[in-house]
Amino acid sequence: MQQSHNHDHDDGSHDHKAAPMVDEITDFEVLEIAVRELAIEKGLFTAEDHRNFTEWAESIGPAAGSRLVAKAWTDPAFKARLLADATQTCREIGVDWTEPTGSGTASDYMHLQVLEDTPTLHHVIVCTLCSCYPRPLLGHSPYWYRSPNYRRRLVRWPRQVLAEFGLILPPEVDVRVEDSNQKCRFMVLPVRPAGTENWTEEQLAEIVTRDCMIGVALPRPDRKADDVRPVHKANRPVPSEHHQAEAGE
Amino acid sequence: MSGESGQPPAAADGCQADLDLAPTPLLEAIRNEDKTWDKLAPRYGVTNPDPPWKVSLYATCECLAAGEALPSLERRRAEDQLGETLYSGTPAPEQQLLALAHIMLSRGLLSEKDLTRCMNAVRLRLEAS
Repeated sequence: MQQSHNHDHDDGSHDHKAAPMVDEITDFEVLEIAVRELAIEKGLFTAEDHRNFTEWAESIGPAAGSRLVAKAWTDPAFKARLLADATQTCREIGVDWTEPTGSGTASDYMHLQVLEDTPTLHHVIVCTLCSCYPRPLLGHSPYWYRSPNYRRRLVRWPRQVLAEFGLILPPEVDVRVEDSNQKCRFMVLPVRPAGTENWTEEQLAEIVTRDCMIGVALPRPDRKADDVRPVHKANRPVPSEHHQAEAGE
Repeated sequence: MSGESGQPPAAADGCQADLDLAPTPLLEAIRNEDKTWDKLAPRYGVTNPDPPWKVSLYATCECLAAGEALPSLERRRAEDQLGETLYSGTPAPEQQLLALAHIMLSRGLLSEKDLTRCMNAVRLRLEAS
């Protein structure tokens, strides 16, 4: 996976070579996956719980892509323009692919294609060669998107890989994997979930999380990108001056 | 498993009363491997200071705490103990991973047999072509 090819990369390097990566599966990597999967197997938590915590750890607030999806859900004319020419239509929400956006920019002009999900078709994106990702819309890619595990296996066994994220699709839903190529980026336009009727664009944008636009999760009315993380009080908290002062009040 | 509502109290010196500090053959074999990220990354010209699985490991710890299978404070205490003893020569992210597996084995959340089986299955899956 260290081939040279002619496009830019998620790490921002513009030398037209794939960023180097550790192309070796170590026992540590295998142990991490095995511990997690056994915990899931034993019902200690679910794959979706794990994906949620990972997403929390890596992203804050709705991405620019979230606004794009919310607008497409509420404005049919905008959606039609978006599906016809996504690169141009991004400018309507303030994202110009030829200019820096604060969350990444393309090194050279390229083409964005928005992939519309339907009740019977689900899209998921990948870059099998390296880590190409729609950064102006989604920010930096998550660690797993850049891993050989995801890149190699998604194109071969998409349903198995999606299930590892906690997304189990029924057999009647076709899965289509889109591989980024020389000058093309993809982003998923998920199906608007039930229970969001009469919501504003701002409300809708909050539930369109990064993983929904990659295609490894589905939006839900009760799940926001910037949800407060659950806090579980320690059973036996460490005594500190601060706690003692509070207790004495 | 120990824990649940009647988790044994930590020992007076802050050590986990139920933590077995004996080496585990499976984890020892992994620990002795010359494949920690600090050694591996330079061989491939990779400059990222952390292995890609580190975020996933954190998420696993968070999930275990959220589900009350392994409270964070107990895990951290046990990690400290193991980091000062059994896994003292192993760098941080790998040390935390080994410690988590060790703690889960020690508390009966995992068995060595299951872990060996699952690791074999995972490796086969990752190496499949």
